[in-house]
Amino acid sequence: MKYRILALAAVLALSACGTGAEPETGAAASGAPAKLTVWIMDGSVTKELLKKFETEHEAAHKGVDLDIQIQAWDGIGERVTAALASTDAPDVIEVGNTQVAQYSASGGVTDLTAKVADLKGEDWLPGLAQPGKIDGKQYGVPWYAANRVVVYNKDLFAEAGIKEPPKTRDEWLEITTKLNKGGNQGIYLTGQTWYALAGFVWDEGGDLAVQEGGRWKGALDTPQALAGMDFYQRLQALGKGPKDADEANPPQHEVFAQGTVAQIIAVPGVAARVLEVDGKLKDKMGFFPIPGKTADKPGTVFTGGSDLIIPVASQHQDEAYELVKALAGEEFQKELATTMSFVPNRTSLAGVLSGDEGTAAMAVGAAGGRATPNTPNWAAVEATSVIKQYMTAVLTGADPAAEAKKVSESITTTLNSGS
Amino acid sequence: MKRLALNATAVAVLVTTVFPVYWMFLTAFKPTRDIQAATPTFWPADPTLDHFVTAVNAPGFWTYWRNSLLVTVAAVLIALVVALLAAFAMTRMRWRGRSAFVVAVFAAQMAPWEALLVPVFIIARDTDLLDSLAMLTGVYFMVTLPFTIVTLRGFLAAIPPELEEAAQVDGCSRLVAFRRVVFPLLAPGLMATSLFGFITAWNEFAFVNVLIIKDQDKRTLPVWLSSFRDVFGTDWGATMAAASLFALPALLLFLFLQRRVGTGMTAGAVKG
Amino acid sequence: MRAGRRSFWPFLLIAPTVAGGAFLLIYPMLKAAVISFQHFRMGELIRGGATFIGLENYAELLGGEEFWQVVWRTVVWTVVNVVLIVVLSTGVALMLVRLRRGLRLAVMSALALAWATPVIAATTIFQWLFQSELGVVNWLLVTLGFDSFQGYTWFADGTATFAVLVILVVWQSVPFAALTLYAGLTTIPAELYESARIDGGSGGQVFWKITVPMLRQLFALIVSLEVIWVAKCFPQIWVLSQGGPDDATTTLPVYAFKVARVLHRYDLGSAVAMLTVVILAVALVSNLRRMVRS
Repeated sequence: MKYRILALAAVLALSACGTGAEPETGAAASGAPAKLTVWIMDGSVTKELLKKFETEHEAAHKGVDLDIQIQAWDGIGERVTAALASTDAPDVIEVGNTQVAQYSASGGVTDLTAKVADLKGEDWLPGLAQPGKIDGKQYGVPWYAANRVVVYNKDLFAEAGIKEPPKTRDEWLEITTKLNKGGNQGIYLTGQTWYALAGFVWDEGGDLAVQEGGRWKGALDTPQALAGMDFYQRLQALGKGPKDADEANPPQHEVFAQGTVAQIIAVPGVAARVLEVDGKLKDKMGFFPIPGKTADKPGTVFTGGSDLIIPVASQHQDEAYELVKALAGEEFQKELATTMSFVPNRTSLAGVLSGDEGTAAMAVGAAGGRATPNTPNWAAVEATSVIKQYMTAVLTGADPAAEAKKVSESITTTLNSGS
Repeated sequence: MKRLALNATAVAVLVTTVFPVYWMFLTAFKPTRDIQAATPTFWPADPTLDHFVTAVNAPGFWTYWRNSLLVTVAAVLIALVVALLAAFAMTRMRWRGRSAFVVAVFAAQMAPWEALLVPVFIIARDTDLLDSLAMLTGVYFMVTLPFTIVTLRGFLAAIPPELEEAAQVDGCSRLVAFRRVVFPLLAPGLMATSLFGFITAWNEFAFVNVLIIKDQDKRTLPVWLSSFRDVFGTDWGATMAAASLFALPALLLFLFLQRRVGTGMTAGAVKG
Repeated sequence: MRAGRRSFWPFLLIAPTVAGGAFLLIYPMLKAAVISFQHFRMGELIRGGATFIGLENYAELLGGEEFWQVVWRTVVWTVVNVVLIVVLSTGVALMLVRLRRGLRLAVMSALALAWATPVIAATTIFQWLFQSELGVVNWLLVTLGFDSFQGYTWFADGTATFAVLVILVVWQSVPFAALTLYAGLTTIPAELYESARIDGGSGGQVFWKITVPMLRQLFALIVSLEVIWVAKCFPQIWVLSQGGPDDATTTLPVYAFKVARVLHRYDLGSAVAMLTVVILAVALVSNLRRMVRS
């Protein structure tokens, strides 16, 4: 029976080879270069740009072999924690700016305070630099920032006779209703796009959580926050976005690439990914800032972005630092900003973006950019998906006030649970 | 009349049992436009391999497939050998502490594996076994071992010891007696048990996430399936094709062992 | 060989089991137990240097409302599933005995096929079956006249998600129990049934007076195995709902995993696991006792 199983295994292995399996390539043979493992999050940078960077960096640094691994968002917290706790960690890891505080506080990240001047950290974006700084020490190195705008399909706007992007929320609802005709969706907004909700809540004067006398308190049950949710619900209904999923399931740029969706809420860099899927929307994508309640003030947006960290457990600290310096340095930053339509990590580099429609829209919004509550525990709130569940519950007909009360209590508990 | 009702019930049970598996394969072979049709079709009118091509071309599929097979088969084989030895001692010998051992093996099935992730991670780290398929194999071996012992003990108990004794009287050594007389009778039990172990180990994904960190080429198929679902989310054709490919080894093994399994799976537990 | 001669053989035979168990089960269990008495979070995992804090983690759990809600939910989850599994599999087993050979083999193969489907594949299938827009279940319900299921989002509602998970777990568990019970039924001598029928017993009486007592041990085994499996069931729930929506499907193992891996409260997670083992052991103590005696 042992032999039979082995035989079966052999047959299966053979059939695997027969259909063209490539055995994975082993480590490069000669010279035993320092193999640097880099974790980049799925969706941050296009494959071509990473490939280009890899080639250039390897050419400039003899003896360095880059292994850039794209990480899926699902379960990333567990993997980064395990990596930081291991003895042979990846050498450079990209972490979201809402997550970097908790890793920095854990003691598993290399302190780069002495290198800030070398990295030209004097004019780093505060929204990225601050979360990476704990007790006066700089652990996270700002990489890029981005905030959401409305990406629209110019053809569908023209078809519906819309000449000009909306300036207020009311206009926005009006044109989206007009666009939501026939086989087309006015807007593809999934039910769990929580940072879009955060923006609407901030516009109303509410917040996700507030600090009262040293204690955090979930605030989604305030009248302002409920008004924000109400607007989200009305907007979400003007398309076929699934009520029980977020924008990654399915990836919304793939949905948008099909050409029947008039608008999505996304970072401008999504345009590059849309074209990766299907080139037919080339030059057909427009951008405008998320409208606010009144025409004089654009909508408040969530400033997202990433920091780079070097785990203490990395076996190649010096090479890793050189790599971070290259990734965060002027040359690559300019390339990253123009290719991906990101805001570069230093304010003095912002000039490279002028003339780009997407980033112009982003810059308007960035003026009113906000961040999630500034506590290492916020990462846990995101990880438990309570806000997403709250949104799905309301969108599928539950009582908003009762659900908001529940989710706020849950946020209160998580934020005060110590670390 | 009574016979008719009985047969109708049997057919209903048959259909509900098979339907989910059938639906998985059917969806995997349907062209996307049929999958998205308002009225589902229950027969592959226009089968296509497109979804399988998508799944197989997703990064890492073959590597992960091979890793999974390697780890699973190794874990199951080791567990069978180790369990057989223990089951023999439990059914054919008397010794101090035997009943305590029986209870311990039964209780081991209650092990809260999800909560042992961190301790196992620490052990692997301190013994330099992170990023190693051997450690994964070890964990899967341990996850399947208790049930394997419990079932094999049942099978062995069902075989009268007198058979071996008679063979020994005829001059065989104890080992030869066991191999010639007991082993053939035990074969169905071994196969049923190995199928169970295979399915359990084949599925595991929580330990892969913490034990395989830097060396992505050592990940296994369940991890691939979950990240595949992340990327392909509502491409249900591709997702079902991926799920089919994932289920295939277990189902093949089942077909391969089916005859024996039908009777084998159960005889042991009856005596259990 | 049955002579009570003292020998090292039995100990040699169980040595690999004991060694494996010591290194990969008992040692991690002890470590988890120790962690449950410590302040052990992300920092301690990475830096080391955890400090003992006595029973604080247990006090936090037992003093909070959430833990008891999870325990209660786990009890409901286990009871609902195990009752359904045992009742359905008994029915299927009784049916199998009465079927003609061809159909019986077909049903048995179907059962074994469902049993052999890996959990994660099965879970993915059920997500697809119950998908809101294109799922075949909603289509079927609407076709049967339940119009409210048009586009119904099963996974947005706690009770509905719970129900889908129950269907999934029952679908996966009935085959093992049914085939085992069927094998048990075939060992009951036919004469027993005949004499009972001659005495004028009805079908129900025969079942309760003969079948159940004859198979009592087997039922006990199946019930305790299913209790363990269902109470500890994790991948199905985690992949399908991650314990949501609104914690409606957070049972003890899911809770332990969430607390540890998502909130990085490894200390609290270990305490949950320790309490889970205690609860299971108490629930099954009578069965364990019987095993010692046998």
